[in-house]
Amino acid sequence: MTIRVNRAIALLICLCSASFGQWLDYPTAGIPRMPDGKPNLSAPAPKLPDGKPDLSGIWEADKYYLNPLSLGLKPDEVVLTPEGEVLWQRQKRARGAGVRCLPMSLPAMSGIPGFPFKVLNSTGVIMILYESFGGFRQVFTDGRQLPEDPNPTWVGYSVGKWEGDSLVVHTTGFNDATALGLGGGHPRSESLHIVERFRRRDLGHMEIQFTIDDPKVYVKPWSFKEDMHLLTDTEILEYICDENERDLKHMVDK
Amino acid sequence: MIIKASSYLAPFLLAAAPLGAQWLHYPTPGIPRTPDGKANLTAPAPRTPDGKPDLSGIWQADGAEDNPAVRDLEDVSPTSEGKAMLQPRAPGAPCLPPAIASVPLSPFKIYHLSKTLVMLSEYNLFRQIFMDGRPLPRDPNPTWLGYSVGRWDGDTLVVDTNGFNSERGIIGGRSGSGRLGPRPHSGAMHVVERFRRRDFGHMEVQFTIDDPKVYERPWSFREDVRLVPDTELLEYICEENEKDFQHRVGRQ
Repeated sequence: MTIRVNRAIALLICLCSASFGQWLDYPTAGIPRMPDGKPNLSAPAPKLPDGKPDLSGIWEADKYYLNPLSLGLKPDEVVLTPEGEVLWQRQKRARGAGVRCLPMSLPAMSGIPGFPFKVLNSTGVIMILYESFGGFRQVFTDGRQLPEDPNPTWVGYSVGKWEGDSLVVHTTGFNDATALGLGGGHPRSESLHIVERFRRRDLGHMEIQFTIDDPKVYVKPWSFKEDMHLLTDTEILEYICDENERDLKHMVDK
Repeated sequence: MIIKASSYLAPFLLAAAPLGAQWLHYPTPGIPRTPDGKANLTAPAPRTPDGKPDLSGIWQADGAEDNPAVRDLEDVSPTSEGKAMLQPRAPGAPCLPPAIASVPLSPFKIYHLSKTLVMLSEYNLFRQIFMDGRPLPRDPNPTWLGYSVGRWDGDTLVVDTNGFNSERGIIGGRSGSGRLGPRPHSGAMHVVERFRRRDFGHMEVQFTIDDPKVYERPWSFREDVRLVPDTELLEYICEENEKDFQHRVGRQ
């Protein structure tokens, strides 16, 4: 099985150029700073009033998530079922995410440098606002269960609970209209269940440990980690994928 | 020449159609209820710990045929520059964002945090309204939804927004006596929204549009929204199963 990443990389470069320049200089309030005024990114992670880590902030991935192999997994750790192979052929051709301004899937959604996301806390929910495609997620932390028969969606339905200092987020309710990566990657089906374990190591660094469990598509679950760094004194930008759209008429296979 | 509220609603009706059915039944915790268990929509508006009205909730415009969503719409004369801009592109059709004033026409959810008010729109968009006392940016990036700051005037949240681009019209909706049509705006537009939660289940949003490049004077209208309890926002992805583009005339 060969993973073709060239096309995905080209796409990433195109997509990201617009969002690299974080332009708005507005000091982030209430963060620890060095004597010279710069944020102290190795200060301890802030805590919520209930003692849990406060994940809020604007985060950007250190590395690109393209597919599991790009983050160090071995091919024999990510093995497709026969049904998964069929699905992959279809989703590779659909090339939905990115190309047609359709939403990115997790884990690419949080794993593309240049597309930061902002985490905000509210009572019973943690919101994640993604610069990519203007989308958002609500992670319900009020104790509710995952829906038994969820509506198939692009970003799924998420519930979270704390295990020690890690926020463990379970997400189901995905559609099978796109693949896990940007412009391809590995396939997903409606049986996909993603577990994210968010752990804020200190003020400026967070890791998200992903487990991808999709028994229709993969012989066994597989895991990897995305590392994040905090962006301070700035804000997420507005990104409207369809703005000044010039590509569609040139697309073959549309 | 007076800009009349004209028929511009079609793309919005199309865009809004799949959003009507709220399917997920999950009881909204912590809201006042009548003895039969239904949400008590005429209970007093909730308050935040600092005593201000808490605007949190899922809201949807009163938009039925006989119950117009846009009220008290003022007619206004365009400037000569404004006359030249009277043919804006339809916003909904190419899957571009609805204008700021159209956001309340689809269901939206407010999270009222201590320093930020977050609006999640079922159009798959979000707005952040900064309430930490910062001023509007002096040289803002031109965007579709603008840059918003909020402050309290008594029990009314007053939201100032600038930083708009000049891509297209403002709003499609309808009023009792006519319809609010495509009203263009420039990058100089300044919008003031006044959010007043009258009671638990009802809020009004008064819009004032000040765009001296395009209009001879500021003009205003109101949108009434109601709380939608025991449900959740749906995911709406405009580009999904897109079949229209190839049929469009006048495409770029």
